[in-house]
Amino acid sequence: MDCRDARPLLGAHAADRLEPVRAGEVAAHLHACADCRRLLAAEDALNGALSQLPRPPAPARLTARLESLVAAAERPAPARRERPRLAIWLAPFVSACAAAALVVVVTRPPAPAGAGALVNEAVNDHLRVVTSTHPIEIESGGIHQVKPWFTGKLEFAPRVTFSGDDEFPLVGGSLGYFVDRKAAVFQFKRRLHTITLLVFPAGGLGWPGGATTRVGRLEISETSSRGFSVLLWRDEGLGYALVSDVNVHDLELLAGKINQM
Amino acid sequence: MAPHVRRNDAGLRPVEPLPVIPLGTDGASLGRALLGHADAAYAYALRLTRKPSDAEDLVQESFTRALGSAAGFRGGNLKAWLFQIVRNTYIDLHHRGAGRAQAELLELADDTPLFQDDIELDRLRRAVAQDIEAALRDLSEEARSIILFDLEGFTETEVATLMGCAVGTVKSRLARARALLRGKLQDYMR
Repeated sequence: MDCRDARPLLGAHAADRLEPVRAGEVAAHLHACADCRRLLAAEDALNGALSQLPRPPAPARLTARLESLVAAAERPAPARRERPRLAIWLAPFVSACAAAALVVVVTRPPAPAGAGALVNEAVNDHLRVVTSTHPIEIESGGIHQVKPWFTGKLEFAPRVTFSGDDEFPLVGGSLGYFVDRKAAVFQFKRRLHTITLLVFPAGGLGWPGGATTRVGRLEISETSSRGFSVLLWRDEGLGYALVSDVNVHDLELLAGKINQM
Repeated sequence: MAPHVRRNDAGLRPVEPLPVIPLGTDGASLGRALLGHADAAYAYALRLTRKPSDAEDLVQESFTRALGSAAGFRGGNLKAWLFQIVRNTYIDLHHRGAGRAQAELLELADDTPLFQDDIELDRLRRAVAQDIEAALRDLSEEARSIILFDLEGFTETEVATLMGCAVGTVKSRLARARALLRGKLQDYMR
């Protein structure tokens, strides 16, 4: 064994990880080579330094989100929610004119009584989106692709006038279900975070009756569940659920953009 | 059934046994097993991104991808598979285009620098965790990753898969990366 053979093994030799035969060969070379002995000492010192490296544990909030992801992957989809055979994606839609921006001011009251079912449904739907093998069938490629796609697939026309921007790019959309009805599902991004927007007919659901915050002409209810923030509101017969793990202020900002009329 | 033995291809003796997830594991079981590696994945992600909030994003995105592609897991070391997803996700999202240049840096290595005197060696021996963290931060992603994979006890075959290189080049790349780290450490402590 010469220096060229020995040197790549010195780190493992210093960590006592070589098998006996190979360790013996390295030891024999070291006996005769002062340069490699010096390098071994350096490798040994480096192993000592590396052994001091701390291993910071995952923060509790991250662990909670990971557990939610895993739980969603374990949970079979409800029968009524047979996987959207027509899992098609719309792309950006609605250009619509940007009008006066509504200032969204959302307070954070405790989850209103009766809101639990809708909140759970919204979080579950968000988790299905982020854990889906094919969360997007058709990526957002332009605002003119969307509205025509919805025609005939939903019994309602989702009114969303925000087609994404640099802060909240629109990734795509698909058909989904919310409780017992079809829903338009839009996926936005905030850096690496996924944000899910569900739009569905609002009638016949147990909407939150607790405190809400006036946002322009709308009332928005905000709750949190399993590490995710959920914003719920109604507008002209349609229900809206916005779900993500982003900072709540970011979610409020997106809600404001979505509410622009 | 004989216990799983992890034997390095270059004559390294077996290292700490890691649980092996059999081929055909369903997504639910896989997800639970992945949670057991969340801390390790976060520690690796933190050393890639250097920022806790980015590390959290990276781990969450990696778990999402892992759960979404559970069917693609071919059995073997689940932790190594998760680390590969973390690294690929990091490169996809943060470092696209830079990986190739860094790989070339390690490929160019043809000799390992030696220390010139005992003062430098003494300095290295006095390194504390803060020093080694700072020196690691200065390394390229590839050099950092291969050192961290070695610390995790991955076999050469696993490291080769993780790094996307031939098994036969892992030893030399690792030696070169460690030499670079020693140099950074010396610079930092000088």
